[in-house]
Amino acid sequence: MQRRTIAGLAALALADLGLSLWMGQQAYRWMPPQASAESVLVDNLFSFMTTLGSFIFFGVMGTLLYAIAFQQAAKYDASDGPPIEGNVKLEVVWTAIPILLVIWIGTVSYQTYDHMSILGTITPKAMGTAVESSTASGSSPINVYARQWAWEFHYPDQNIRSTELHLPVNQRAQLLLLSEDVLHGFFVPAFRVKQDVVPGREIAFEFTPIREGRYRLRDSEYSGTYFAANQTNVVVESADDYQQWLSAVAAIPATPAQNVAYDEFNSDRNSTGLAWETVKPAPAPMVNYASSEDDSHE
Amino acid sequence: MSTAELDPTLEPTVGDQIVHGMEHEEEDHRMFGFIVFLLSESVIFLSFFVGYIVYKTSVADWLPAGVEGLEVREPFINTVVLVSSSFVIYFAERFLHKENLWGFRAFWLLTMAMGSFFLYGQAVEWMGLPFGFTSGVFGGAFYLLTGLHGLHVLAGVLLQGIMLGRSFIPNNYQGGEYGVAATSLFWHFVDVIWIMLFILIYVWQ
Amino acid sequence: MSNASLEVAPQNLQPQPGAPDNWRRFFSFSTDHKVIGIQYIVTAFIFFLFGGLLAMVMRGELITPDADLVDRTVYNGLFTMHGTIMLFMWTFPMLNGLANYLVPLMIGARDMAFPRLNAAAFWLVPVFGVILTLSFFIPGGPSQSGWWAYPPVSLQNPTGNLINGQSLWLLAVALSGVSSIMGAVNIVTTIFRMRAPGMGWFKMPAFCWTVLSAQLIQLVGLPALTAGAVMLLLDLTVGTSFFEPSRGGDPILYQHFFWFYSHPAVYVIILPIFGIFSEIFPVYARKPLFGYRVVAVSSLIITGLSLIVWVHHMFASGTPGWMRMLFMITTMAISVPTGIKVFAWVATVWGGKLRLTSAMLFGLGGLSTFLFAGITGIMLASAPFDIHVNNTYFVVGHFHYVINGAVVLGFYAAIYHWFPKMTGRMLYEGLGKLHFFLTFVGINLIFLPMHPLGLLGMPRRVASYDPEFAFWNVIASLGGFLLGVSTLPFILNVLSSWTQGEKAGDNPWRAIGLEWLVSSPPPHENFDEIPVVVSPPYGYGSDEPLIENNAKELASEYS
Repeated sequence: MQRRTIAGLAALALADLGLSLWMGQQAYRWMPPQASAESVLVDNLFSFMTTLGSFIFFGVMGTLLYAIAFQQAAKYDASDGPPIEGNVKLEVVWTAIPILLVIWIGTVSYQTYDHMSILGTITPKAMGTAVESSTASGSSPINVYARQWAWEFHYPDQNIRSTELHLPVNQRAQLLLLSEDVLHGFFVPAFRVKQDVVPGREIAFEFTPIREGRYRLRDSEYSGTYFAANQTNVVVESADDYQQWLSAVAAIPATPAQNVAYDEFNSDRNSTGLAWETVKPAPAPMVNYASSEDDSHE
Repeated sequence: MSTAELDPTLEPTVGDQIVHGMEHEEEDHRMFGFIVFLLSESVIFLSFFVGYIVYKTSVADWLPAGVEGLEVREPFINTVVLVSSSFVIYFAERFLHKENLWGFRAFWLLTMAMGSFFLYGQAVEWMGLPFGFTSGVFGGAFYLLTGLHGLHVLAGVLLQGIMLGRSFIPNNYQGGEYGVAATSLFWHFVDVIWIMLFILIYVWQ
Repeated sequence: MSNASLEVAPQNLQPQPGAPDNWRRFFSFSTDHKVIGIQYIVTAFIFFLFGGLLAMVMRGELITPDADLVDRTVYNGLFTMHGTIMLFMWTFPMLNGLANYLVPLMIGARDMAFPRLNAAAFWLVPVFGVILTLSFFIPGGPSQSGWWAYPPVSLQNPTGNLINGQSLWLLAVALSGVSSIMGAVNIVTTIFRMRAPGMGWFKMPAFCWTVLSAQLIQLVGLPALTAGAVMLLLDLTVGTSFFEPSRGGDPILYQHFFWFYSHPAVYVIILPIFGIFSEIFPVYARKPLFGYRVVAVSSLIITGLSLIVWVHHMFASGTPGWMRMLFMITTMAISVPTGIKVFAWVATVWGGKLRLTSAMLFGLGGLSTFLFAGITGIMLASAPFDIHVNNTYFVVGHFHYVINGAVVLGFYAAIYHWFPKMTGRMLYEGLGKLHFFLTFVGINLIFLPMHPLGLLGMPRRVASYDPEFAFWNVIASLGGFLLGVSTLPFILNVLSSWTQGEKAGDNPWRAIGLEWLVSSPPPHENFDEIPVVVSPPYGYGSDEPLIENNAKELASEYS
């Protein structure tokens, strides 16, 4: 190739790289707040993939748009283009480079997953039997009960139940995910963690919150009629506030918790308009502390 | 073999030759298509086999309460009968190839009898079992696998019956025996599936 | 075979332009692959509009955060049936229609290997279509468990009836599988055994390669889905406990059965579209398909790899860590043969003499949306990232860029390109370009916002959402309505051109291919004499003839 062409291509590649690096930085802004140690890892991975992906996208689209703009046939030119059937060198290059890129992305992803280390053991559990387990630190994990359609958190050591998950900041949170009926998904976007909750299994799950605040927990595995309403809040607070919350809540007697699905089910069933039979929601959780939909979250 | 390799200047073009050529081509097409279909059908059984293996190796209470295991003797006899019938059907095909229609019919009928014996044996075994279709995962998997296979055996015997009937139509098998060949191949397929099934369910207990 | 004395059907049995009585062929049990192909395509398109209508209602619901347009059960039925109809009633039948119409013509055959089996496979489509439609009207409504029908939700059956939306759904899907397997056996046999003399594997058009690869996947993958569906149906109706956890069953096993087919199924969907791109770009760039042999073989490599990636749909499910890592690696690998195709198309277009006809615009549009989707796809292959966006709108955006991006745009490209061949009429170019712009803008408006929505944590399949997601949802809904409207110029174009369009000659695009050697529409048995192929496809810019001329001399010697 001519030197001018090589210089031109190099300049375009550089421009592409610059634009892609910029996109990679923008990627952080498309994500929720970084409320967990895992979120930092995932966001870095996403930024990296956005940079690489943008590079490819702008490169290929640029080539295509150039051709569309400048290589149309002249109006009365009915002749064919050059009979180019292939170019072995080019084909080898565009096979080798993607292979290398894929190995690169795969390696970074593997390291990220390994670093996150959020999934613990998955053990079978006969439905209806009591849960007994302990974590490496000796304290019991927080039992997360997923139901149609409310979340309940049981703190076995203090024997309190809540529909709002409270966690101390900068400490490894250890949970045990349990479903009483169907598949659910434990998903906190601000933490970048997700795990399906499988009936008939106990799934040990852990992560590290690093930022105080109130975040959204959403059911992510379709679980029936009121699936979209199966949401609650997660509060990350300082270790002191957390202990205070635990002791304060232990003194409150258990009452049924406000529950969007339960409320809608009991009010809507007489409404006009098309509706089909639905599974009845599980009874409202009896908890010492209830989350409120009036609280704002990030 | 595709038509691409045929020399176009040598193709027959008129009368009997073209009819025979086309029939032979069509027969090859149909046999090819049937083999493709059987390969696909085998994946259904393979999927159920995988399911069986996963259940057996992961479920806590595999056998239903009170069930110690499966009786192997009678199913083993059934297996011997079914596998032997594959040889019998093979001999029937040889007779047909040599245009010995009565030899063909005799061995063909014997195959049908052996297939029916297998089905009878299966039914007897089912009726004597202490668990049902809904008795846990084992019950479901057992009856599903043996039931699906049994359906295929039944289909095989019915197909054999049809082929037997057609053998009484004059000159029916002069030009080619696609139907017989396909039915026979199906029968061997059913046999191989059974052998795998037998090892999986009765031997590996 | 290549014999002038073969009986040729009377002329009034083929769709002649203008003749008013020929429309009945399309409602009959015709065994002509060209009629069956059109039957598939038209039936599929009608269901495309129906599935699209359901999507319009969904976008109407999602334009506001609350579930205030329809009841939640209705919304759940809508998204379930939208997905089910779009896949089983639109995409698969439409692709079978294109394959049916084009493959025999492209390989120089008179019809498919098994014409009656072909017709039977088609007529199953309206049957299971009716079953799915009827399910809206029975007590309890249609299936509301998503197009995946995951247990235990799919086993809950609130009405308690034996005949319910879920069981009808399973019956319809089972029939769809039977129809597809029949079609696959037919197409595979046809391609293996009925290519014209001289057409070795590397003289066969890329579209046929991709169709073959896709149908091979159907043969190997569909039975696994059937197995899972049978077990689910038994659990639902008879009371077995394959997937019922309270009685020892394993719901994750269902997911394995389901995805073992349903992942390769997406390659069944995209491969023929790849084939269409490979046919379109050479014609409208007047250049050979770059790297044709490699592009052809990459189709089979994709087929093989597609069977070992399925767990990437289950990264957040009850799968152990080692399994997630293994399938992450295989999933990333499949981007390589796919990327090769994308680069090959760009290289085909580059340096050519481009004509931006409607077909070419749709082809280029489809290529761009596929490029974008491919990149988000590689991101999704990364397990730690996928754990964040799995089951969110990010995934919905990704796959719609493929399926109502590349696939739909590829379909339109195919119609603008082959409609003259099929009907003997030209489509109006002006309406075509309008159609393209509305569609392309609509697609980007509705599906691009879904990516930030997913990143921010909006789950999929929700009838209501937290208020912070409203902004992007409004834009997406407006894009959706535009997309709905964009079908109108197309429908208008097809209906009016079919009856009044300018007459098309044998080869209005001056394209190279066996289908362009016969009249538009082709005669009943396609070729007066079976051609003898002498050169590879896409011979633009060179002077090689595609077929041998002395086939004519041979015929006259024997007649």
